[in-house]
Amino acid sequence: MAGMSPIVRTTARLLFPFTFLFGAYVVIHGHLTPGGGFPGGVIIAASFVMLVLAYGIERAQERVGFTRAEVLESIGGLTIAILGLFGLLAGVAFLQNVFPLGEFGRLFSGGNLPLLYLAVGVKVTAGILLIFYAMLFGFGGEE
Amino acid sequence: MIPHAPILAIFLPLFAAFLMPIIGILSRKRGVNHAREWVAIAAVLAELVIVGSMLSEVLSGQIILYKLGNWDPPWGIALVIDGLGLFAALIVSGISALIVGYSFVSMEKDTGLDQYYTLLMLMLAGMMGVVLTGDVFNLYVFFEIMSIAAYALVAFRRNWQSIEAGLKYLIIGSLGTSFIILGVAFLYGLAGSLNIAHLAQNLPFLPATTLILPLGLFVIGLGIKIAMVPLHMWMPDAYQAAPPPVAALFSGATATVGLYAMLRVVYMLFGAFGIGAMLAGLGLVTMVLGALMALVQRDLKRLLAYSSISQIGYVLAGVGLGTTLGIQGGLFHLLNNAIYKTMLFMIAGTVVYRVGTSNMDKLGGLWKNMPVTGALFGVGALAISGVPPLNGFASKWTIYMAGVEAGQGGHWPGYAITVIALITSALTLAYFLKAFSNIFLGQRPGHLADVKESPRSMMFPIMLLGVLCVVFGILPQIGIDLVRPAQEALMNSGGYISAGLGGM
Amino acid sequence: MMHFNYIIAMLLITLGLYCLVLKRNLIKLIIGLAILTDGIHMFLISLGYRMEGIAAIVTDEMTSVPSNFAARAVDPVPQALVLTSIVINVCILALALSLSIYAYRYYGTLELEKIRRFKE
Repeated sequence: MAGMSPIVRTTARLLFPFTFLFGAYVVIHGHLTPGGGFPGGVIIAASFVMLVLAYGIERAQERVGFTRAEVLESIGGLTIAILGLFGLLAGVAFLQNVFPLGEFGRLFSGGNLPLLYLAVGVKVTAGILLIFYAMLFGFGGEE
Repeated sequence: MIPHAPILAIFLPLFAAFLMPIIGILSRKRGVNHAREWVAIAAVLAELVIVGSMLSEVLSGQIILYKLGNWDPPWGIALVIDGLGLFAALIVSGISALIVGYSFVSMEKDTGLDQYYTLLMLMLAGMMGVVLTGDVFNLYVFFEIMSIAAYALVAFRRNWQSIEAGLKYLIIGSLGTSFIILGVAFLYGLAGSLNIAHLAQNLPFLPATTLILPLGLFVIGLGIKIAMVPLHMWMPDAYQAAPPPVAALFSGATATVGLYAMLRVVYMLFGAFGIGAMLAGLGLVTMVLGALMALVQRDLKRLLAYSSISQIGYVLAGVGLGTTLGIQGGLFHLLNNAIYKTMLFMIAGTVVYRVGTSNMDKLGGLWKNMPVTGALFGVGALAISGVPPLNGFASKWTIYMAGVEAGQGGHWPGYAITVIALITSALTLAYFLKAFSNIFLGQRPGHLADVKESPRSMMFPIMLLGVLCVVFGILPQIGIDLVRPAQEALMNSGGYISAGLGGM
Repeated sequence: MMHFNYIIAMLLITLGLYCLVLKRNLIKLIIGLAILTDGIHMFLISLGYRMEGIAAIVTDEMTSVPSNFAARAVDPVPQALVLTSIVINVCILALALSLSIYAYRYYGTLELEKIRRFKE
């Protein structure tokens, strides 16, 4: 897939860091404000998709390739699972919040919630990118 | 019980699923063969141990309540394991273990096995979730996980057949799950709760007319999932196009899970509304039409798919009778169906593996090439047709007896169930004899002369299931003993309610 | 005006079902599926909605008077349900669209009539 006109490319390149940053903000503040891992992950993935559309698939692949997206998705899933295990290790229940809760309303608070949102964000970003790549290449739709 | 066994049973396959792509990439880098297969086998065996460890508690009449995140029911999500849930969980984990072992050789010619095992594990996680959860929305979510993995597995080989079947299954199946979630929404709106025990406690106090809509939505939605006639259109295509191990998994485990959900939701939540007669009626229609459609099939996998539909009808008819004997017979038949239907699909898989087609017109005379496979197919075919002394006879006999018992009790439809079930059994025998003679007897086409016996690692799970067929047939008491806790759990919704709400 | 959203939800569900039953184009079927689930989401959200309600976020001000919170906050459970359901639907739609891409590659069309039928 070839890229688009220079205007589109420039706009996409300029917009990319801001979109990415906004997605990261939504993910990281998931436990404090509306949003969270899924919407944030979709926004981050959308920033990559925008690059792919503007520059063509090759340039985007340099940043996040198919294999790397696959690995990232697995790591996101595994992180969620392992975070859940911490609750079991502490002797209570699966996914129970065993980390210190911290002060209400601060960024570093809420125990395992921010970590969970981070893992979900990584997984969703990688997952959406994988779907997008899969549709482009025709590797099939295995999610 | 292993500590935290209920959540581990769901968590383990999920973990294995997430691990699978990483293992695939690593093993390709290091040049290790079959790493995924061994991880998958280890995961399903551990799964079997975890599920088995809950057996002693449940058999002693306990109902296990596991509170996720330590939130008390009905506010938090709870896993509730009673006899029925564990019965289904045992079938699912047992069949999955055999399927993974069978996939080892059966899928070796395919590419993209990372995704195959990921999807298989995801599907296992979804199925375990459905049978262990005590929350109706959670049930929907796990049903969707299972279904999405199933859609992708049907389309796994990506030839025209599987894509068409996958799309058909996806659209009809999603329609079904949409009905389920709409039913969940109605229940939440009516009773303000999602906990199955809490719902079962509160629903009888609501006016019956308001419950007809959610009941209908659940019956249609779950009916699509278990391929109840007239909602079965997707099933033969999906079973025919799916890779053989997947088809075997569908017919053994997924059908069980669907029926479990049907019994749990429809029977337990709406049990007070004379639901049994409706289930029995739908079961009879399903039974007869499935068998009639199976008679005219030319493709072995398609024939088995229609026969699956017919067998599901038996279970519904038995359970629909609502008596102790009927429910025992129905659930026993569910177990037996999982055993021989998985076995028959696996045999169909070995035939496809060796010959390359499951079209019965192009087969014949294979008895000389694969006598063991032929004999096992014979055992499975006789078992499914209800010929003594095999397991199909034991459970069908129980259902007949239950029908007669209901008839003597003044409910004439009981006799009708017995008569129709008997006639359907004869039909079943007819189409399996036809299949057997088409594949294993008769003229052998010249190009099949050097077909070899099935590979040993594929034969092993088939033989195991064949032995089970005979054991449950000669000693039906073992089967009845296995089924009794499930039957008691199904009839004892009071116990489920009090245990599911933490003894409140 | 209270029931307006229920009417819209039911309209969406009917529209989705209509698409699924009567349309014979893969993309239209998938659109029908999306509309159907959107209607269901609308219905679920409406169940928990309350006029002049506040978001169900527990702040200090709210925890001091719990009854005040319970009287004013919208029901958060349907929102959680809808979020989950949306995520699931993203997966289903993605899978459906990828399969449609394959179907188009094989048959050169998305019309169901022209896609070869299964042989019996």
